[in-house]
Amino acid sequence: MMPAPVGEQVTAHAVRIAAINPYISPRGLGMNAKKLHRALVVLFALFPVIGAGPTWAADDSIKIGVVGPRTGPAAATGKAFEEGFAVALDMVNAPGKGVLGKKLEVVFEDTAGDPEKAASGIEKLITRDKVALVVGESHSSAALAEIDVANRLKVPLIIAEAWHDDITAKGYKYVFRAGPSNSGVVNDSLMGFVKANGFKKVAIVAENTDWGLGIKKLAEEGLKAANIPFMTIVTERQSQDHYTELNKVKQFGPDLVLAFVYGFGLHYFIAQANETGLAPQTALVLDGAGPPSLWPDFWKNVGDAGNLELFVSSMNVDKPVTEVDKAFYEAYRKKFGQNPTDYKSRSLFNTVLLAADAINRAGSTDADKLVDALEKTNLTIASGVVKFDLTPGSYRYHQWQPPMLVVQWQDKKQVVVHPKDLATGELKKK
Amino acid sequence: MTDFLLYLTNGLVMGIIYALFALGVALIVGIMNVVNFAHGELYVLAGYFSALFASALGMHPALAMIMATLCVFVVGLIVERTLIRPTYGNEMYSLIVTFILSIVLQNGYLLIFGPYPRKPPNLVTGATNVFSLFMYGNQRLLGFALALVMIVCFFALIRYTWFGRVVRSVSIDRDMASLMGVNPQRVNLLAFGLGCALAGAAGVILTPIFPVTPTIGVGVSLTAFVVVVLGGMGSFAGCVVGGILLGVMENLGAAYISSAYKQLFGFIILISALFLRPAGLFGRKRA
Repeated sequence: MMPAPVGEQVTAHAVRIAAINPYISPRGLGMNAKKLHRALVVLFALFPVIGAGPTWAADDSIKIGVVGPRTGPAAATGKAFEEGFAVALDMVNAPGKGVLGKKLEVVFEDTAGDPEKAASGIEKLITRDKVALVVGESHSSAALAEIDVANRLKVPLIIAEAWHDDITAKGYKYVFRAGPSNSGVVNDSLMGFVKANGFKKVAIVAENTDWGLGIKKLAEEGLKAANIPFMTIVTERQSQDHYTELNKVKQFGPDLVLAFVYGFGLHYFIAQANETGLAPQTALVLDGAGPPSLWPDFWKNVGDAGNLELFVSSMNVDKPVTEVDKAFYEAYRKKFGQNPTDYKSRSLFNTVLLAADAINRAGSTDADKLVDALEKTNLTIASGVVKFDLTPGSYRYHQWQPPMLVVQWQDKKQVVVHPKDLATGELKKK
Repeated sequence: MTDFLLYLTNGLVMGIIYALFALGVALIVGIMNVVNFAHGELYVLAGYFSALFASALGMHPALAMIMATLCVFVVGLIVERTLIRPTYGNEMYSLIVTFILSIVLQNGYLLIFGPYPRKPPNLVTGATNVFSLFMYGNQRLLGFALALVMIVCFFALIRYTWFGRVVRSVSIDRDMASLMGVNPQRVNLLAFGLGCALAGAAGVILTPIFPVTPTIGVGVSLTAFVVVVLGGMGSFAGCVVGGILLGVMENLGAAYISSAYKQLFGFIILISALFLRPAGLFGRKRA
């Protein structure tokens, strides 16, 4: 029997609710049911237009899953991920290539940065879509939920851009990270930048997420060890208004603000830091996440307040790190008609290359063989040559950290200011 | 003291804007007994319209704001006629329909406008040194003034015009108003459109400060519901007092307790107020 249309199903459900609900008049229901049914049909008719279904693989293909936020405050990352795997698939599936003689296909599951959605999303990918492995994610809270599922269901997961140390520190056999960790970013990049440029007083503003709180703690430890006075404020992740926090920061009088605020909230933070007379008037702001400073409309949203703003990035379009990097920029420009702006497109591109390489070397999609192959990875990707660390007992286990840059906006141009050997210009403080 | 004044000022500014979009919810609840879950999405729609009119069509930002609010008013009329009217008499149905509408609109925005924040150009830039005490964004000060003017106009409309008298009569006793010759369907239509336009007005005022994204309306709806329940369901004066109270308490809580749980303070105030006055600050107990 054919199922009833969605509109009828909802109406029927509403009728059932009405039948047991003493506050709904049966008379009113009878009078309006037909009209209501029509209204619901109109609404549901819109769903096929806006719904994005998964990509179904044919028999002659191998599927991998991608997890990441397509909705929510960091939905822009989902777009970057889409661009990243689109470029990677073009390369992997080029004529004469592929994986094990088959086409590589991707199924993208939206996690919205929400741990519950993330856990059910990766479980769907593994059990329903039967993916060989999963790559992606940029929210630590979501990734911390995903790693438990991946390890329980014994399917390899390569994290691209979720930085919390525990993601790899837990020592899970099926979990890898080909991207930055909080410790790596703070110890290898940020602290070096702070010390090298002689900042005297630092304020930390961190969002109340696993990533924000984790990186805040590491930054505090680093500043304490370096004997640099600092203050810390934790802010609500969804908050748009930061005047209260910025006023406290201003009173402290720092010359650098480390803003661990991800998503569109960073745009509000930068604009308001300028309105309250903090940055760049008396202090520089360093966006500790990176991509929000590169998203389209950044300049429209922050105005002149964006000048001299700093951000971390693993990508410099003007200085490709490897031949693969160069090929990525060329392929991206060819496909999208411009240079990539969000480095997370490149991060996702990298993880797809790693996945394809592991499947080819494993000679199968067997999970244990894939883990074995991943542990033996020696592959040049856009950000360098990947070799996963195999020493258990720390966040470095199953991780490879790409070199991170500190970039400054100077008259709307990106200038790499740290590390010195990769710098393209000098840091400007005023 | 300077800090306290800054937090108070910011709370007042945010509170007045909360009140403006909550008035739309209060109007629709008071007249139609409909809880519009898509209220926040209409706020977002106005933000997108104003950005589109100003950027793509090159309109002056002020004209773009007016046009966007009018467009949302018209959208409100269409939504009432096609989706809300069939649900009259069934509160549960209107809840379901507006909830689905909010999801459809969120996904539609994502599809059409993409995930990135959008805003029209600021009407004013820079900041003012308020009372020579602290710097405060000029766009925020303008937003405060505009929201205040909108609220005063709304109260004047309700208090002194024929439409206001009709709205009040329907709100007090729909059947009696109907017997006196008022057409309740037409009042519903206009009230819903006006409620949506208030969401739109708040949207165009706030979008230059907080650019809109497809899902930002969820927080707007939630804040509006908190304000309406706090003030007393359907009470316009309650909305203004509730909005200001919420804005001020959020800011003082963030400043003196913790900025990590800013949104929690709203719910603490709501629960406390309802514990002491279950019908809300300005609500009347139902017989």
